Amino acid sequence: MNKFFKKKSSLIFFIFVPIIFLWHPNWLGFLGVQPYWPLFWLLPWSMIYGSINGIIYGLFFGLILDSLTINSNLTQIPGLILCGFLFGRIKVHSDILLGHFRYGLICSFGSFLCGVLYSLQILIQNFSNSTFLLFIPSVQNILTEVFLTGFFAPIICSQLFRVFKLSGRKV
Amino acid sequence: MLDIRRISTSRWWHKKKNWIFFGIFLFLFYVRISKGSFYKDIYYFISQPFWPGQFQKEIILKSIDQESLIKLNLLKKDNKRLRAILSLQESSDNDDILAAVISRKTGSWWRQIILNKGSKDGVKIGSTVLGPGGLLGRVNNTSYLTSSVTLLTSPVSKVGVWVDRIEISGLLVGLGNDYPSLMLYSKDADIKVGDFVSSSPASTLLPPNIPIGIVQSIDEPSEAKKTAKILLLAKPQAIDWVQILNSKI
Repeated sequence: MNKFFKKKSSLIFFIFVPIIFLWHPNWLGFLGVQPYWPLFWLLPWSMIYGSINGIIYGLFFGLILDSLTINSNLTQIPGLILCGFLFGRIKVHSDILLGHFRYGLICSFGSFLCGVLYSLQILIQNFSNSTFLLFIPSVQNILTEVFLTGFFAPIICSQLFRVFKLSGRKV
Repeated sequence: MLDIRRISTSRWWHKKKNWIFFGIFLFLFYVRISKGSFYKDIYYFISQPFWPGQFQKEIILKSIDQESLIKLNLLKKDNKRLRAILSLQESSDNDDILAAVISRKTGSWWRQIILNKGSKDGVKIGSTVLGPGGLLGRVNNTSYLTSSVTLLTSPVSKVGVWVDRIEISGLLVGLGNDYPSLMLYSKDADIKVGDFVSSSPASTLLPPNIPIGIVQSIDEPSEAKKTAKILLLAKPQAIDWVQILNSKI
C-alpha cells in the first residue's frame, strides 16, 4: 500500500489540484483571490521530465480547469501550455536554499503569464462596452495572484519536487 | 522497380504509452465537453461531510422576521393582483428549490458557486438563484447532482435591471470585482447614490422586481452612457444556503 502511494503520489497530487481549485479555501487567499494552484504541480514536474511532458500536462490541466469554470468562451490552456514548456527548460539548481526561492520567482512569472493571457481574452471579448472598466479589476486580480503564487511556491514546489523525485516514474 | 520496405516496424502507434496518453486526452476532452459534470459529481461526494449543517440552515430561516414576512406576503398578493390587471409577466414560487453552496469562487476571474442540487432535483439552466438579500446570479450549467451559478460579479454576467426611482432600465455588467457596473444608455439619467436597483420587469432572463443592489458611486458620464458602481445586497462570500427559482418568467 505504502509502495503504491509512493509510486502514484504524482498522480494523487495531480487529482488534488482541481479539487483544491473547486474548494477555494478562503483562509489561504487574499482579497478573495487564490494562488494559481496548477503551477505548483507543473513546475517540479516539468523541471524533472522536460518541456514535452510540461506541455502535455499543461494541456491536461487546462482541459480539466476549463471544464470546472463556467466561462465557456475563455480558456486557461494557452497559459498552462506555455508555462509547461518554459518550466521544462529550467535546470535544477544545486544550491537548495537558492533553489527554493527560485521556485517562488518562477511560479510568480508563470502566474503573471497565465493571468495576462486570461485577462486579455476577457478584455477582447468585452471590447465594445466595458474594456476600461474591466482593466483595473484585471490588474488587481493578476497582481494578487502573482503575489500569492510566489508566496506559497517555495514551500509547496520544493516538497512536490522531492516527492516526484522519490516516486521516480511518470504517471 | 525495387520494393523499398522498412526493416524497423517501430511506429508511434506501436507504443503502448502513446495510446495511454491518447486515451487520457480523449477522456479529458470528454470532461471538457461535458463541462466537468463528471468531476463535479465526484466533488459532490468528497465535499459532503463539509456542507453547511442543518443548524446553520435553521438560524437563517429563523432570522427572517415574522412581521416582515406577513407584510411581504400581503404585498406579493397585491402585486400579483395588479400585474394580472395590467397583464404583465408573472412569477410563481411553487417550484423553488433550497440548495447548499458546496464550492465557492468569489474572487479572481472565476466568480461562481456550485450548489448541491442538480438536474436530478429539477434544476434547469438559466434558473434564477437568490440568497438572503436578493439576486445572486443564474444557473449556467447543471450536472446530475450539482449546478454551477454565474455570479453577478463575474465578467461574463450581463443582466437587465431597473432603477426604481427614475424608472429607467439599464444593464448590470460584472467586472471581476465585488462591485458590478450599472450602465445606463442615457447621458442625462438622473441617477443618485443610494438608488435602489432591482431586476427589470422587461427582462426575459429574470423574474421581475428581485432586489439586486444599491448605487454606491457614479462615474463621470462618457459619450452617450452613464455608469455607476453597485453594492450588491446578497453577499455570495458569506451565503451557505440559496434558493433556486425554477419558475416561468
